[in-house]
Amino acid sequence: MRQWDWSVPSSGVYREVVSSMPAGWANESRSKRTPPLLFIHGLAHGAWCFEENWLPAAAAKGFPSYAVSLRGHGGSGGARKLSRTLLRDYVHDVMQTITELPQPPVLVGHSMGALVAQLVADRYSPRGLVLLTPAPLTGSTPNLWHIAKQRPASAGAAVVGRTLPMTADQLFPGLDPGTARRYVSRLGRESPLVQYQLLGRRHIGPVRCPVMVAGTRSDSLVRERDVERTADAYGVEPAWLTRADGSPIGHDVMLDLGWEQALAEVLGFITAQVMR
Amino acid sequence: MSESPLPWAVIGAGPHGLTALKNLLERGVNAHGFERDSDLGGNWNYHAENSRVYESTHLISTKPFTQFPDFPMPDHYPDYPSHWQVHEYFQSYARHFDLYDHLSLNTEVVRCTPVGENADDGWDVTVADRVTGEQTTSRFAGVVVANGHNWWPKTPQYPGQDSFTGEIRHSAQYKGAEVLRGKRVLVVGAGNTGCDIAVESAQNSKSTVHSTRRGYYYNPKYAFGRPSDQTADLLLAMKLPLALRRIMFKTTLRLTVGDFTRFGLPKPDHDFFETHPIINQQLVYYVGHGDIVPKPDIDHFDESRVVFTDGTEAEIDLVIFATGYLAHFPFLDDDWLNPTGDHPVLARQIFTPRFDNLVVSGLIQPDSGQWTIAHWQGVLIASYAELMRLDPDRAREFYRDVIEQTHVRFTGGANYKDSTRHYYEIAHQEYLVALEGDLAVLEKVSA
Repeated sequence: MRQWDWSVPSSGVYREVVSSMPAGWANESRSKRTPPLLFIHGLAHGAWCFEENWLPAAAAKGFPSYAVSLRGHGGSGGARKLSRTLLRDYVHDVMQTITELPQPPVLVGHSMGALVAQLVADRYSPRGLVLLTPAPLTGSTPNLWHIAKQRPASAGAAVVGRTLPMTADQLFPGLDPGTARRYVSRLGRESPLVQYQLLGRRHIGPVRCPVMVAGTRSDSLVRERDVERTADAYGVEPAWLTRADGSPIGHDVMLDLGWEQALAEVLGFITAQVMR
Repeated sequence: MSESPLPWAVIGAGPHGLTALKNLLERGVNAHGFERDSDLGGNWNYHAENSRVYESTHLISTKPFTQFPDFPMPDHYPDYPSHWQVHEYFQSYARHFDLYDHLSLNTEVVRCTPVGENADDGWDVTVADRVTGEQTTSRFAGVVVANGHNWWPKTPQYPGQDSFTGEIRHSAQYKGAEVLRGKRVLVVGAGNTGCDIAVESAQNSKSTVHSTRRGYYYNPKYAFGRPSDQTADLLLAMKLPLALRRIMFKTTLRLTVGDFTRFGLPKPDHDFFETHPIINQQLVYYVGHGDIVPKPDIDHFDESRVVFTDGTEAEIDLVIFATGYLAHFPFLDDDWLNPTGDHPVLARQIFTPRFDNLVVSGLIQPDSGQWTIAHWQGVLIASYAELMRLDPDRAREFYRDVIEQTHVRFTGGANYKDSTRHYYEIAHQEYLVALEGDLAVLEKVSA
């Protein structure tokens, strides 16, 4: 029963959807095609963070790849109403994007986007569900507390409704300062209501598709135990993403040094578990 | 015995057939659909022989509850989409979930025959290719009947009707306003179709008389700047009791439209929520402009005139009977669907007490949008079919329990007026709660 969706539905806004298509994919018969991938970004990010490396790289491996900017993020509309935006508006944006895809996709969500992906999977059966450094279903209050101990000013800003400040060394510690600065400057605002919603616990029903849960061992935003808890909830072993030299990647696994290895893990899971 | 299990047959590719097919396939239950027309969409496939939508048909409920919850209508659709948009929506649903490959178009089901006692060994389904006429029969584990209940016209018979000199047609044969031009028109029936046609007649014909058996509540599509069905759902979400919701709706109508009897419309002889809602903002407007003349029931026809029960009469060129439809299952025996009187009575509007592998989807008339319910009926049927395969004993147990509740109706506390129109009427949220409970039982069992 989704009474609020029926009585006070989300309004539609312009959606930025970027994509990279492998050559000849559309001409394949449906049973032979690789499934489309739909990437969902995290807090204050946008479709751009996947567009940078992963979309073209995944397309080169034969996967039609799409990334959507949730409302108020990246190139999508809705920035002026961001302060009134709720998680279910993001779910609405992803559902709208899905209906435009030629067939059911694998959902790949990052951080807050992984929570959105799980809420979407609660009503729609994707081909697979990939949760990267996922915001925990049990609520992010401990994470905020953890951040408060290290950076009280950041946590304080989030508590009073400003966008949680995130720094290059939290997100992509392996990048050179110039690139890192460029990415940080692209971070946008987050809905304060959504940030508050992230603190609370969420319940979702059983998921019937293959699930991958991946984290990194050096993440100060989503800690190892959060990743393990999410993996437990789906009865899978967490995957730990590392660079070529074995060192852990930063929170933004699609941007930090080592993004190639992280993507290879994700595509490996899809090939082995989803395309069986 | 353990070769690949028999598939399920789905009869009809309207919204209920599509959701049944999609959910069966999604749960790994092999299934195949049959559609007599050259495209899917059922009633919403305007050009189909048995489609009953007309040129101007729009939804009378808004997108949020009308759409499939796992495949929402596009943002660029309006609150109340047209039948063209609805048909495109069903097509994109079928493309997205790859249903065309599991669907035989131009294929009419002519006969379903149970195999073994109580169809224990499945069903032989005989279909006819509508192009070649060739008939073939194949065996299925079960049958989902989703052929719709708004296509077989119900036409009343009044004294003198046969010698009436004007034209009589059922709304089933009404596709657009051309037939109305220059005519003196009588529209019979105050269902949503009757009201739509009365309004179109007011805009296009020479004169319009609208005959109804009783007074109704004509609800606006918008009130207080919001679609009214969303407000109705909001009040339900707030768990307001029926009596309070009645007062609020009546007050709203009183404040926005005013007193119906001032317009010469009869006072409703029933309380709010006791008849299927009529959603028509324009009818009262045209009555107020004198372009629709309301009349009571017809007494008899007299050559070119129609005489009403109040003794008044009118010269009429064209009568349109918007008197509704009856459920009709030409490929089944009459007694298989548990008819009491003249219509099937099913548990949850889905399960037949006679066969545990013959289910019906879409035999509902909700006081809301419909296809959220179509989705959940499809999920329930698929979950049940899956369990029949995985754990037949538990499936039988579920079936027995649900059949014991065949008499349970989902009225939301209201007493529906006795009419063929309310045979399948349900209060949508109460009904969904019941399906939710059934699903919890099925899923817990299958987990």
